[in-house]
Amino acid sequence: MTPTLLDIHSVSLTFPGVERPILSNITYAVQTGDFVIVLGSNGSGKSSLLKLIDQRYQPSSGKINLDGKLLTSYRDKSFHCAVKTLTQNYHESLFTSLTVLENYLLIRQQYEPNLLAIKTQHESEFLQTYLSQFNTNLSSKLNQIVDQLSGGEKQALALALTVLYPPRILLLDEHTSALDPKSAEQLMSMTQQITEKYHITCILTTHDLAIAEQYGNRILALRNGKIHHRIENDKKQDFNQENLLAACY
Amino acid sequence: MMLASLISAIFTQSLTFLPLALGISISYSLLRATDMTLDGSFVLGAAVFARLVTLGISPVIAGLCALIAGSLAGVMVSFIQRGGRVDPLLAGVLATFILTSGNLALMGRPNINLLTQHTLVSTAFAQSNLAGWSLVALYSLSFCLISCLLVRSRFGLMLRALGDNPALLKRLGTPVETYRLLGFALTNSLAAVSGILTAQTVGYADVGMGFGMTLTGIGAIILGQQILRAMLKRTTLRVAAEFSACVIGVLLYFFAMNGLLRCDINPVYLKMILGIILIIFLRSAVNPNQKRAQS
Ligand SMILES: Nc1ncnc2c1ncn2[C@@H]1O[C@H](COP(=O)(O)OP(=O)(O)OP(=O)(O)O)[C@@H](O)[C@H]1O
Ligand SMILES: [Mg+2]
Repeated sequence: MTPTLLDIHSVSLTFPGVERPILSNITYAVQTGDFVIVLGSNGSGKSSLLKLIDQRYQPSSGKINLDGKLLTSYRDKSFHCAVKTLTQNYHESLFTSLTVLENYLLIRQQYEPNLLAIKTQHESEFLQTYLSQFNTNLSSKLNQIVDQLSGGEKQALALALTVLYPPRILLLDEHTSALDPKSAEQLMSMTQQITEKYHITCILTTHDLAIAEQYGNRILALRNGKIHHRIENDKKQDFNQENLLAACY
Repeated sequence: MMLASLISAIFTQSLTFLPLALGISISYSLLRATDMTLDGSFVLGAAVFARLVTLGISPVIAGLCALIAGSLAGVMVSFIQRGGRVDPLLAGVLATFILTSGNLALMGRPNINLLTQHTLVSTAFAQSNLAGWSLVALYSLSFCLISCLLVRSRFGLMLRALGDNPALLKRLGTPVETYRLLGFALTNSLAAVSGILTAQTVGYADVGMGFGMTLTGIGAIILGQQILRAMLKRTTLRVAAEFSACVIGVLLYFFAMNGLLRCDINPVYLKMILGIILIIFLRSAVNPNQKRAQS
């Protein structure tokens, strides 16, 4: 039996002054290699759930374990290496006034504390090769300022840099929702390529049922902060869009 | 003759102002913080230097102490705004507020005359004006050069990242507060350098000499940036361009000011007119902070 990677145990989230709990009594276990799709209408608590997992919020009750240890027992740095988030808002994951290469160098120095040991020439070759494995033309834009890239390119860059040092768990909060259908599809196939190559466990929120059908292997549907419906990976026949629409909203 | 004296006034004033302008540029464009402390550190540099020199201490040691005092002012302001609990602009005003009485206490009186004192440049000026100003240029430009090299290095990359997205930088495990502190120490010691040089060239240190300096500096820098952007047909400037923008802006500012003075404009209205010109520049400029908030 594979050990539970992420164990969410009867977690609730309330905010002072907000009457209704944002999330109530959520219990869910994520195994290594899962690709979980979180569905639910606006305000159902999807983003809040992801924020609990990456510790931007703390649960009001219940507990969350990663590898059998409480999230709060991890040191900041090792936690941020193990759990990474990408949202539709690339501002949160990129230094937008710096170049592509500079963004990479800043992430690089997290793992190579001796800044001076990082040789720019060598690194730019590495980055070029790294980026060229993805189906984008980012590898020819190393010296471009991020602000001047297209939305799709920014999001692809953010994803590529987020997994430069692969996390255990990748949290994706509607990361394709601001993109046109074609760019969204490209980014999703890049996401899949990455999660498979680096064995990253992924939890993704979306309103796009086609994404859920094509990429998910488990579905978690929220409604008003509670688990409304769940589909496990042995029920592949339930992963079609009509069924999801009927069952999850 | 008129023209020669105008040009020399512009150049000499620009030379002593340049380190401060560079400090302002680093805090405004890189760290994205409008650090009003620079007004106070400018005076602090002049005050510490003047006081120590009149106490008979060697000008070199006095200069070093003044430089350190400036960087300590930076440390102070970074502590005030530590953790983002006090707005940077307010922190700067607060720090300057504190420095106003600090400077007066240090000097012991509102004004110290340096004309009769032995200073870093007094021997050179005794030889000739040219020798004196060359030495001032040497001091001013070498501090600017050192700062430019620092800003172009990895350290500068960290400062730019800090100004761009402190939350992300923190999540990457960088000690952001340390970099903030170092950044402010750098900009405030540059302001102190300007203060030290100004005190020696005008011949006195005065508690009120820093008033409006940061504001003027920002105006000059924005003017320079606008011109450079138009010339380079680019919307963003890199480090080397930022420094050139500083130089251009400062030269033009002193050109405007000396020009106005020579047009027999009543000095009483000088700040008012310059203020209005500043408003026009600020309104026409792309403010990097504002652009961020909109997008
Ligand atoms: N910091 C907060 N303080 C108060 N209420 C909050 C906070 N964060 C979220 N909420 C509330 O929690 C509820 C769930 O928000 P959440 O962002 O998790 O929804 P969501 O499912 O991600 O919605 P969407 O599909 O629109 O992204 C909303 O009603 C929201 O107003
Ligand atoms: Mg959301």
